[in-house]
Amino acid sequence: MSFRVDFIEGSRIALRSLSAHRLRTVLTTVGVGIGVATLLAILGIIQGLNTSFEKQLETIGPSSLYVSKRPWVQMGNWWEFRNRKNITMEQVEAVRAQSTFAEAVAPWMSNEEDISFNGIDLSAVDITGTTPEYAQVGGYDVTQGRFLTGSDDDNLASVAVIGADVASTLFPHSSPLGARIRVNGRPFAVVGVLAAKGKVLDENQDLTVLIPLKTFRALHNGYRSHTIGVKVRSPELLDAAEDELVGILRRARQTPPSKPDDFAINRAEQLAGVYNQLTGALYGVAVAIGFITLLVGGIGIMNIMLVSVRERTREIGVRRALGAKKRTIVLQFILEAVVVSAVGGLLGTIVGLLGAKVVSWVTPLAATVKASTVFFGVGFAAAVGLVFGIWPAARAANLDPVEALRHE
Amino acid sequence: MLIQLTDIHRTYQVGQEKVHALQGVSIGIEKGEWVAIIGQSGSGKSTLMNVIGCLDTPTSGRYMLNGKDVSHMVDDELADIRNREIGFIFQNFQLLPRETALANVELPLVYRGVGAKERRAKAIEALKAVRLEERMSHKPNELSGGQRQRVAIARALAGEPSLLLADEPTGNLDSATGEEIVKLFETLHGQGHTLVLVTHEPKLAARCPRAVRLSDGHVVADGPGAQVARA
Ligand SMILES: Nc1ncnc2c1ncn2[C@@H]1O[C@H](COP(=O)(O)OP(=O)(O)OP(=O)(O)O)[C@@H](O)[C@H]1O
Ligand SMILES: [Mg+2]
Repeated sequence: MSFRVDFIEGSRIALRSLSAHRLRTVLTTVGVGIGVATLLAILGIIQGLNTSFEKQLETIGPSSLYVSKRPWVQMGNWWEFRNRKNITMEQVEAVRAQSTFAEAVAPWMSNEEDISFNGIDLSAVDITGTTPEYAQVGGYDVTQGRFLTGSDDDNLASVAVIGADVASTLFPHSSPLGARIRVNGRPFAVVGVLAAKGKVLDENQDLTVLIPLKTFRALHNGYRSHTIGVKVRSPELLDAAEDELVGILRRARQTPPSKPDDFAINRAEQLAGVYNQLTGALYGVAVAIGFITLLVGGIGIMNIMLVSVRERTREIGVRRALGAKKRTIVLQFILEAVVVSAVGGLLGTIVGLLGAKVVSWVTPLAATVKASTVFFGVGFAAAVGLVFGIWPAARAANLDPVEALRHE
Repeated sequence: MLIQLTDIHRTYQVGQEKVHALQGVSIGIEKGEWVAIIGQSGSGKSTLMNVIGCLDTPTSGRYMLNGKDVSHMVDDELADIRNREIGFIFQNFQLLPRETALANVELPLVYRGVGAKERRAKAIEALKAVRLEERMSHKPNELSGGQRQRVAIARALAGEPSLLLADEPTGNLDSATGEEIVKLFETLHGQGHTLVLVTHEPKLAARCPRAVRLSDGHVVADGPGAQVARA
């Protein structure tokens, strides 16, 4: 007897047996469904979080390199980083002159300061002194007015381009353009407003004030280190551009060949590492909970299959007496388990996806679901049925036909 | 010779003890014979039936069925032999309760891999042979005891086996219905079917051309039914 015949007959028997015990089938199905739903909802939320983080990362420029004294993600000796030589304007010029991959190079310095307008105060706002190229490097757009210009810098103008949140806080009812805000007590004329960018790992990119670099330097007498933002022509060139930058900077900083780099070249990807570190363990636990729920569903299936085998012992004996082989019986019971689980998987998938959607409506968590998740849900449930159906099915097939026929 | 049993032993291990259900049974049965197996309760009748039907394998001895040595066959081969060579008829009918009479009769053909159309045709033919074709879409619980046993006989006939094996086929029926079934066996015997029938009713055994008496797992008599049944 061929597998095809076994399969057709097995499926028919499985469906008949399932419809004969509707309540039991429904309960078992629900068990698997809950497991799959939990797992998928968790996976959906995790996928959503990851996607929204990836979007955040894009706001800080996926094709930019950031040269600074210290790496963003610090590992090792803080004192060693602190004692490094500052990044100077000469080094900025060297990068501008020599980098072949750079599309735009922007130096900047920043500090947290208090600002105010018309009696409204904002403390600890990021004040950044920079040049016009900053817009390109950091991917900033202007919604009102204009960005900083070269002549703002040459003239040490007291002008400011403000972030979206600064604008909405200080100017709830009026246009900020032309207004004079105070930064650390000094007046600055607002010439532009930046488009909103959102947060990256809790750092609000919209709570910022940009002023000309030379103006910033004049206000902060102390000698500070620059950060150099380098926008590369395309993201694939990041590695080559980084190698080139290392060479340029080592020469400009006269780093002895025997010493390691005394500066850091950062990129958005590095933050992904931090993110993964922060969230990885949490995700692991969440997924494990989902799997345990599914495991409980699987044990439910095994239990019901064992009951089914016991109830149908005589039937098994009859089938064996009439010529059914062991593998035919195995297939019959496994199909029964797989059908229950797959149906449960399908229902669970639908509920899980809805659950993830509901979570994204009622909480700030964004849940996204890939099409592959659906196949995963149904396929995984079917696999659970297979695994937990094997043992009961094997028990059924290994019954002695004579004993089985005598079973009450 | 359709069946040739030579020195068949079947020993059960019950805890520490050994139960010798069959102790050196040797019989031959020709094609077309109708043989009754009789004996006291516990004498080994059912055990012998199970061995002949390839549901059970002897502990020792040789069993030739239709020219094939089945004593050393593996499970899958035995399943095929049961499917093709044997038609079982049980005391308690052993029909599948959720299936119709027709589906029950089709079952051996399903396991033989016969296509749906041919299967149905053969099953209907078998139901006609037991005069139950009008009840083919009934489920077992919608049939009387005698009708159920006729469905079971149709199922045994459907696969056109070389041997029909019946263990107490009238044991669960009243005498009138039992008589109906025995008449059916007589017809089948007349058509050339080979029948082996276990019974504890001497009257029934007396109507069989041949009977074998078992006692304690031994063959103690083998001859014309009327003669062996009287002893
Ligand atoms: N599975 C088993 N395990 C142990 N002993 C068994 C088993 N099956 C049968 N026996 C024993 O083998 C012997 C023969 O049993 P069998 O069922 O063949 O008798 P029988 O002639 O059919 O009796 P009855 O007329 O009551 O049906 C008995 O002593 C019985 O107890
Ligand atoms: Mg018996």
